[in-house]
Amino acid sequence: MASQAIIFRETNDSKGFYILLALLGALLALGALAFFTAEHHGHHITGMNNQVVWGLPHVFAIFLIVAASGALNVGSIGTVFGKKLYQPMGRLSALLAISLLVGGLIVLVLDLGHPDRLIVAMTTYNFKSIFAWNIILYNGFLALSAVYIWTMMDRKVKKFYKLAGVAAFTWRLILTAGTGSIFGFLVARDFYNSAVMAPLFIVMSFALGLSVFILVLHFAYAWTGRQLGDVVMNRLRYLLAVFIGGVLLLEGARHFTGLYIAQKAGVEHFILFEGGLYTQLFWVGQIMLGSLLPLSLIFCRKLTNNRIALLLAALFTILGGFAQLYVILIGGQAYPLTLFPDADVSSDYFDGVLNTYVPSIWELMLGMGGVALTLVMVTIGVKVLRFLPDSLSDAVADPHSK
Amino acid sequence: MSQNRVDEYRRNFITALGGAAAVVAVAPTLLLREAHAAGEVAAKPADQAVTNAKRWGMLIDVTKLTDGGAGMVAACKKEHGWGDEAHSSPEQQAHWARVVKVTDKLTHNSFSLPVMCQHCENPPCVDVCPTGASMKRADGIVQVNKHTCIGCRYCMMACPYKARSFVHEALQDQKPHSPRGMGTVESCNMCVHRIDNGQLPACVEAAPDAVVFGDLNDPNSAVSQAMKTIGGKQIRADLELNTGVRYHGI
Amino acid sequence: MTSKFSTVFLASVLALAALLAGCSKAPSEADLNLATAKQKAEQCVEPENVIRTKHMDMLMHQRDATVIEGIRTKQHSLKECINCHVSATKEDGTPLHYGDKEHFCTTCHAAVGQKIDCFQCHADRPEVGQDPNYQHTVGSVEGHHFTQGVTAAAAPTAAEVQMVAQPQQGAAK
Repeated sequence: MASQAIIFRETNDSKGFYILLALLGALLALGALAFFTAEHHGHHITGMNNQVVWGLPHVFAIFLIVAASGALNVGSIGTVFGKKLYQPMGRLSALLAISLLVGGLIVLVLDLGHPDRLIVAMTTYNFKSIFAWNIILYNGFLALSAVYIWTMMDRKVKKFYKLAGVAAFTWRLILTAGTGSIFGFLVARDFYNSAVMAPLFIVMSFALGLSVFILVLHFAYAWTGRQLGDVVMNRLRYLLAVFIGGVLLLEGARHFTGLYIAQKAGVEHFILFEGGLYTQLFWVGQIMLGSLLPLSLIFCRKLTNNRIALLLAALFTILGGFAQLYVILIGGQAYPLTLFPDADVSSDYFDGVLNTYVPSIWELMLGMGGVALTLVMVTIGVKVLRFLPDSLSDAVADPHSK
Repeated sequence: MSQNRVDEYRRNFITALGGAAAVVAVAPTLLLREAHAAGEVAAKPADQAVTNAKRWGMLIDVTKLTDGGAGMVAACKKEHGWGDEAHSSPEQQAHWARVVKVTDKLTHNSFSLPVMCQHCENPPCVDVCPTGASMKRADGIVQVNKHTCIGCRYCMMACPYKARSFVHEALQDQKPHSPRGMGTVESCNMCVHRIDNGQLPACVEAAPDAVVFGDLNDPNSAVSQAMKTIGGKQIRADLELNTGVRYHGI
Repeated sequence: MTSKFSTVFLASVLALAALLAGCSKAPSEADLNLATAKQKAEQCVEPENVIRTKHMDMLMHQRDATVIEGIRTKQHSLKECINCHVSATKEDGTPLHYGDKEHFCTTCHAAVGQKIDCFQCHADRPEVGQDPNYQHTVGSVEGHHFTQGVTAAAAPTAAEVQMVAQPQQGAAK
């Protein structure tokens, strides 16, 4: 049989579409409620404080932002590295990337002490600040991804397809390096100040972005009755395994270095062995459930071609990523600052003690609102524009298989 | 007519200057023989911008602080009105300065010192601020320009001294000379309003026997002379931030 | 003097706008507490029409000069505006804050629907605790803060005068 042409089509009008929108809309409303409540009362209603200054909203925001750049990878593999199998998924990949980034940024922005001064952040730059560079990188990413989608959707600009793809791919690598460097550049905190944060965040983005992509792709096809074959899904499956392995490698490097450098050994011991919740989140959440379990689900022979196993692997990778970011962000801040090495310090302002942080319901609502916004954008996107191929059955995706 | 007013203003201003100078001149007790007071602040005319000719700094002699600096912290609190936020938890309360007790793990030697913004020459909080709200004035004072602070708290992540606080609730009846409000970050600003007025920072005034304040750029200033004689250590000197607040006896 | 007319005119336009917008909280003519301001208009740091149309620019310029450069001239200082124009308490002795209809800044800002965040950080009334004679007495030595001369600021354009004198209908929401 001759290879079938890839036909892109909007998703159909269905009851499911509206039910999904209603559910996500409810989450969005809760997120908005959380924002207005915190905006009105101030941050004292949150669990964040002057010791643990970044909390759950930042975990959500950074997760979404990191996953955003990773979600674009599927498209990049098709465009930049010329893998034909991935090309039909390029549009969805870019849409998901934009949606994730917007979802993450909205959480970040709405958690600011002065969200009303966003215009200041957009117009006044301190170019020594990696944060300021990130603002530029985020905006550029949105623009480049949009152009990338354009070159995929409009035949007239098809000649720029490769160029746009390469530009977007390069940009996303810099972007994630920038996100990692937000922590890497913090000289004051021993758990963060390391150059490995930049590559670590890049490889995290590969794994998390792909996991989100796998879930979205599957449910987009399952809920609209389109065909999605094993050829495509198995490719993504083994790619995910490679990325999870990459995260483990860099995490290993980071923690081993930490244990060797005396200055960092204190906080490393805290996170790895004595940190209570953070230690559990690291070993059980990130390593066992978030890395080893997905790897076994992927490589277990009995589960070959098993779609549920793949979805679970993606889901657990996401949960592991959350655990990892929680440990990095909150765990890193829970450990007290070193004012005087080799000395015990105490004060009436929590010097020398482990800081506590209990997230409030408002922070969870705000974070979930960001997730909901992402999914709303994708759901509406695939409904109104031609993002999804009509079919990704094995015959369409790879005519040479069998 | 307006010219007359200007002249009148200038006359008043110069009179005020003389007054401030007199206050500084008679400020009590000596830290060292070389130091004539708790330091000196030459007032600049109100309409002139600060320059980098001066760099303000202070030397705190911990051995002369009988209360570990609690009096200095109290004076700061009174001057700026922080720390009474009704809705904030203790962890959320603002703290511009605090007394830290340090005990060496091996020798068990122990001392207390006041810790506040150290007014670094290379402040990490200024480097990381996306909008430039976290700023160092030409005369070396590190502060938050709350007009452009968006409340992202990145500076708080970057500060090695935990010198910065975020205001977690709406405030009212702030001190007119020390504006502070919800959703912005704040910290010790060396009593910038007093310095511009030719006065010493509140904490320095509260501990005249233990603190010398002045221009670090001027080798003949009391603070420079005092540091030359007895030294001035930094907290976390390993970070090479070249702090403007120095300690003796730590 | 045209000023009396303009006050009445301004007040009635504001009242009308408020009425049209159906906003019960906006000040009525009687509520507009401009008497103090009018009384001090002659002693203000800028002519009345300049201050009405340009005060935000002056404050904006002054805030950067003060915070960044340490310039602390009093002429365009928000603190001095407050010292002169705002009483520490209402007539019944309770504290007077921005948002109360008697507050000098609120009187106009509420009517023109202008939201400001100055008083999130700045004190919105003089500090009585330290100096009971906080308000400058008209004609006293302390009363004036001219450093650059009154004409330092550019005169407002006709459009700006228009804008302030006649707030748009419905803007009082």
